[in-house]
Amino acid sequence: MRSGRTLPLLIFIFFAIAILSEGWNIVRKKSVSYAKYGYIFSIPFVVAFLVFSLYPIVYTLVIGFTDLRGLGVKEYHFLRTAEGNLDLFGNFRTVLNNKTFTTSLKNTIILWTANFIPQISMALLLTAWFTDRNFKVKGQGAYKILIYMPNIITAATIAILFNSLFGYPKGPVNDLLMKLKCIDGPRNFSLQRWTARGVVSFIQFWMWYGNTMIVLIAGVLGINPSLFEAAEIDGATPTQIFFRITLPLLRTILLYVLVTSMIGGLQMFDIPKLFLNGGPDQATITSSMFIHEQAFSGSYLYNRASAASIIVFGIIIVLSIILFQILKDKDEVARRKYLRAQRKAARRRVNS
Amino acid sequence: MAKRVRTITLVLLVAILGVSLFAGGQAEAAKKVINVWSFTDEVPKMIERYKELHPEFDYEIKTTIIATTDGAYQPALDQALIGGGADAPDIYAAEAAFVLKYTQGDAKQYAATYKDLGIDVDRLLKEADIAQYTVDIGSNERGLVALGYQATGGAFIYRRSIAKDVWETDDPQVIKTKIGPGLDKFFEAAEALKRKGYAIVSGDGDLWHAVENSSDKGWVVDGKLYLDPKREAFIDHSKRLMDNGYHNDTQDWTDAWFADMKGANPKQAFGFFGPAWLINYVMAGNSGGTKIGEGTYGDWAVCEPPIGFFWGGTWVLANRDTKVKDAVAELIEWITLDSSETGLQYFWANGTLFGAGGTKDSVASGTVMSKSDGSLDFLGGQDMFEAFVPAGAFATGKNLTQYDETINSTWRAQVREYTAGNKTRAQAIADFKRMVFETLDLPGN
Repeated sequence: MRSGRTLPLLIFIFFAIAILSEGWNIVRKKSVSYAKYGYIFSIPFVVAFLVFSLYPIVYTLVIGFTDLRGLGVKEYHFLRTAEGNLDLFGNFRTVLNNKTFTTSLKNTIILWTANFIPQISMALLLTAWFTDRNFKVKGQGAYKILIYMPNIITAATIAILFNSLFGYPKGPVNDLLMKLKCIDGPRNFSLQRWTARGVVSFIQFWMWYGNTMIVLIAGVLGINPSLFEAAEIDGATPTQIFFRITLPLLRTILLYVLVTSMIGGLQMFDIPKLFLNGGPDQATITSSMFIHEQAFSGSYLYNRASAASIIVFGIIIVLSIILFQILKDKDEVARRKYLRAQRKAARRRVNS
Repeated sequence: MAKRVRTITLVLLVAILGVSLFAGGQAEAAKKVINVWSFTDEVPKMIERYKELHPEFDYEIKTTIIATTDGAYQPALDQALIGGGADAPDIYAAEAAFVLKYTQGDAKQYAATYKDLGIDVDRLLKEADIAQYTVDIGSNERGLVALGYQATGGAFIYRRSIAKDVWETDDPQVIKTKIGPGLDKFFEAAEALKRKGYAIVSGDGDLWHAVENSSDKGWVVDGKLYLDPKREAFIDHSKRLMDNGYHNDTQDWTDAWFADMKGANPKQAFGFFGPAWLINYVMAGNSGGTKIGEGTYGDWAVCEPPIGFFWGGTWVLANRDTKVKDAVAELIEWITLDSSETGLQYFWANGTLFGAGGTKDSVASGTVMSKSDGSLDFLGGQDMFEAFVPAGAFATGKNLTQYDETINSTWRAQVREYTAGNKTRAQAIADFKRMVFETLDLPGN
């Protein structure tokens, strides 16, 4: 039975040594190398990363297997069954059997999908318009700023704004719908599960489509213009150019957008928390909110919160790998494989 | 060269490791600083005022104010208490919603007893006539560790004009017999008000605060979730209010709720359950006026509530490891137990802490209230203390737990699901129990 901070510390020191010795090997090489300056300059980052990121991650990983709970408790032990056998995955079992957790995972996926599909479609559409060589949109800069604007406002502010917009029995949305004779009396939107989910997804979409658009436009501008010219000369329509040239060449950027958005989406916290605090009836509780509630809403179940974070972390990794596989440039991979094989063959010929 | 780089890196790494791991263990400098932690500027301002009134009190006050919104205050305060050292809080404030954690719950070990600070608690408690519920909340097995300066015993605050329209009088002595005692009379009154087109309260949250803090037991008994019969009955009260249209179906702290304070909803709400702070800090500002005749200002009165309760309040605690014990004791005694005319509570009750004409508030000390003038223009000249002194005696402080914030919001959300017709009563209660168990690991009974 190990307690205290020894184990995480050992792992931490091991990592520190491993990373640094890697650096020294390169520094030691006899040839003139400027790489060492790179290493020197990256020391602050590496140290900050080790202390403020890696250590907490490792610590989280460890306490996920322990009985650490309660405020100000520092002692912890690895979980054991009543008979005294190690039972390392007890917290994971509890969390996976927790209906609130499964609900929160389901919600996270629903909320992310419902925001990402319109977000990427809208961003792609706007990108196509703004980068079209035939019709120049007037006042492009102004539009881009306006579209990007929601991203600058704090998410918390927007969540609270929407909360009062959908106020009941008095609120702007209710007033408007009643003036337009869509409804006879005020509706309590905060009790409608799908309205709540829709609003949360909409806020996410509205805040992020501008950002995604900027990234995509940058990606399109990076494509060699002669490709577009060639296509035009060959008589391709703008739609054809977009689907046959722009999109395939945007693949890596799309992958980047997809992966960062997915990680961000799976960590969604502030908007659902401040909009209706996960309500109504847990319809908008996300996995990050679940983790937060386990740890900080009264019982300080740090061990379960850690176990839940590790599960979410695992899901993010698995999904990222799947995305990488799907969006991998197959031609490029084949080409590299071919080149490698050729090099190998050449070396073999020289050696023999 | 390579060797030097290696040495430098190693030294740097060790230094940073050392600093980050052993930070907080430095020796404390001998200085006269009092660290004050609070969630509003109320307590820090009092202490600043004390310094102004007592120039010989030679301490520097360092305040840390973190709002309770988003639950930010508690984790920060917890870390500061756990961390200790020179920057640890010497005096810290806690709100009713979570004070139990710091007096009787997981963080009780950090609080100093008032006796250990050198305050003559027994004599002063009697002298000041402090309401029992605040003492109950502030005590644990070691003794008294926290007291408040406000009295937050609740009353019923109602519109005079509506009372005249329905019962032909606005006299608090009469109205209190119309709406109470007991909730049966309260619902009779609701029916009478409905016939004239009024709502008795703004939303079910108003009634909840009264029900919550008049129940016999708290949410947790012996480590298990306990649904007090009075709190369970709230689900039926709420349904009754909803089905009969006795309220405007607002939620507390939303725009529609505030609108009822100036009578801006089509169906006017008769009254609110609340302590003195609700009148002074919430209703007065939302009444749509600043003098009699404007908005609903001056159209209000207070009377005894149908059920006794208290709502909110701030308790003041001291760190048991404080290095400035005497100064801390001096401040705490002045704030919580000094019933003289130079004590904080006398200023507070008469609204004279920062000069004449300030906001009057009911205070913890009955002695102070009995010699203070609590008449308010907002209440049409009524002396609010006549309703709030007895209100403190009805309240019970034995039903709080450190889980209240979370469990209350879960419970009220499920009650809303039931009253809105989305769930059956049994389903709502079962879901409530499941959610509490899954979030807080408190098994049901």
